[in-house]
Amino acid sequence: MAKKPSLGRQKIAIAKIPKKNHLQVTFSKRRSGLFKKASELCTLCGVEIGILVFSPANKVFSFGHPEVDSILDRFLASKGARSDGGGSTHNSGTRQLFEAHRSASIQELNMILTQVTEQLEVDKRRGEGLDKATRSGVGGGGHPRQFWWESPVEEMNGMEELEQLRSSLEELKMHIVGQSTRLMMDASRSFMAPFLGLEYTARNDHGDQFDRKPDLDQVNNAAALVQYLSFPQENGLF
Amino acid sequence: MTRKKVTLAYIASDSARKATFKKRKKGLIKKVSELSTLCGIEACAVIYSPYDTEPEAWPSAACARRTIARFRHMPEMDQSKRMVNQQAFLRQRIGKVEDQLKKQRRDNREKEVTGLMYRALTGSGGGSSALRGLSLLDLNDLGWVVEKTLREVNERIKSLSNCLPPQPPPPGMMGNAGSNGGGSKSDVCLLQESVMDAPGMDGVQNLQQQWYMELLKQSEGLMGFNRFGGSSYNSGHEMTMIHHPPPPPQASLPPYSCPGQSLPPWTANFFFPS
Repeated sequence: MAKKPSLGRQKIAIAKIPKKNHLQVTFSKRRSGLFKKASELCTLCGVEIGILVFSPANKVFSFGHPEVDSILDRFLASKGARSDGGGSTHNSGTRQLFEAHRSASIQELNMILTQVTEQLEVDKRRGEGLDKATRSGVGGGGHPRQFWWESPVEEMNGMEELEQLRSSLEELKMHIVGQSTRLMMDASRSFMAPFLGLEYTARNDHGDQFDRKPDLDQVNNAAALVQYLSFPQENGLF
Repeated sequence: MTRKKVTLAYIASDSARKATFKKRKKGLIKKVSELSTLCGIEACAVIYSPYDTEPEAWPSAACARRTIARFRHMPEMDQSKRMVNQQAFLRQRIGKVEDQLKKQRRDNREKEVTGLMYRALTGSGGGSSALRGLSLLDLNDLGWVVEKTLREVNERIKSLSNCLPPQPPPPGMMGNAGSNGGGSKSDVCLLQESVMDAPGMDGVQNLQQQWYMELLKQSEGLMGFNRFGGSSYNSGHEMTMIHHPPPPPQASLPPYSCPGQSLPPWTANFFFPS
């Protein structure tokens, strides 16, 4: 059973937090959440809001819709009485245009935010699916029953098994190197052939010959890899 | 409290909008108040709406005025440094979510490729046939994961060796180390154990280094990529999912890599940008 990532929602007393670190973290999170709520309120209900927050370190955070300064000026100017908003030197026409443009871009940003958030949910669920699969031993696509080497390396204790695992991994690495090299050569051959006036035929996995068009993806990957390979490596791998 | 998903857009229905406004305004005020108390800081909020003639101010109009005065007395730069309007704030939020998304996708990819690695370890004895259908990108990521796992395994082996209780070495073991050619697994294990018997930490370190050097020297003679071409090429384009019991001990040690030989750079910066 995996360890719980965090304590989750806990009830908290509304009084000044004693621990400084805790206080700082709480401030940071809650301030962010507060602005988020304010932003949503503005969007959903079409209202104008201004918020000022002083941090424990004496810095100021402010949120304002349409702008912090205009809201504050407006508030200070009128003793609470509703006015048309101070400091408006624009004529009505330009102002309206300005506001229309602003709300259009806010609308667009809200849409983008919604989309990206949804996308994150999709990928999160995918991640959970992958986690469940490996844990139940379905290994991300089909093979049953976890083998001993699939558990985290930190928990392995059998020296012999570790060494076995190591040599299998090394062998696999060699195969990967071989296959990559083969693919790269294949790709560069198919890329160069037309220029060199060569006829290029490839063999598919069943050993038949056929004419193959150069696979642009492979070629691009290959070309990039080849370029990278020609630079000397500092310590071989990383 | 209902938990319906709300779209982030102006609420068209007047009644729904008004109701939402009342609830959320209440919630917002509560949040400001909590923040102020919990963190012992000064704050204020001002809300203009079509539903009230006067703006709503928290804590009170007078207090808010004081707070605003304190704000305005600060240097211009300090005021605007952490000032946001809707657009700026939304952009910040979008940026944060995008970062989370990137990380999530990277983690997912790693999980996916790790699964691939496990299948490769079991399928058809790890022959090249298992790698046939994979693109260069897949191969590269696979190599990265294999390399990462290898490092972990080596770390684990090293830390376990450091904790092994000292055991009396079989006579003449050390002498055989260099001449042991390809060496079998059991020899390697014993060699490690005998290393532990050396007195004092420094002694142990030296012997371990010596062991590694010996091993590397051995492997130089073994350099031969003779493992390809042995497996059948008839499994088609898919990863074979034949499950075998854990791989049997290898008859001969695969050549261990020496630093300094040219190895494919698992381009952690390129294909697997971290």
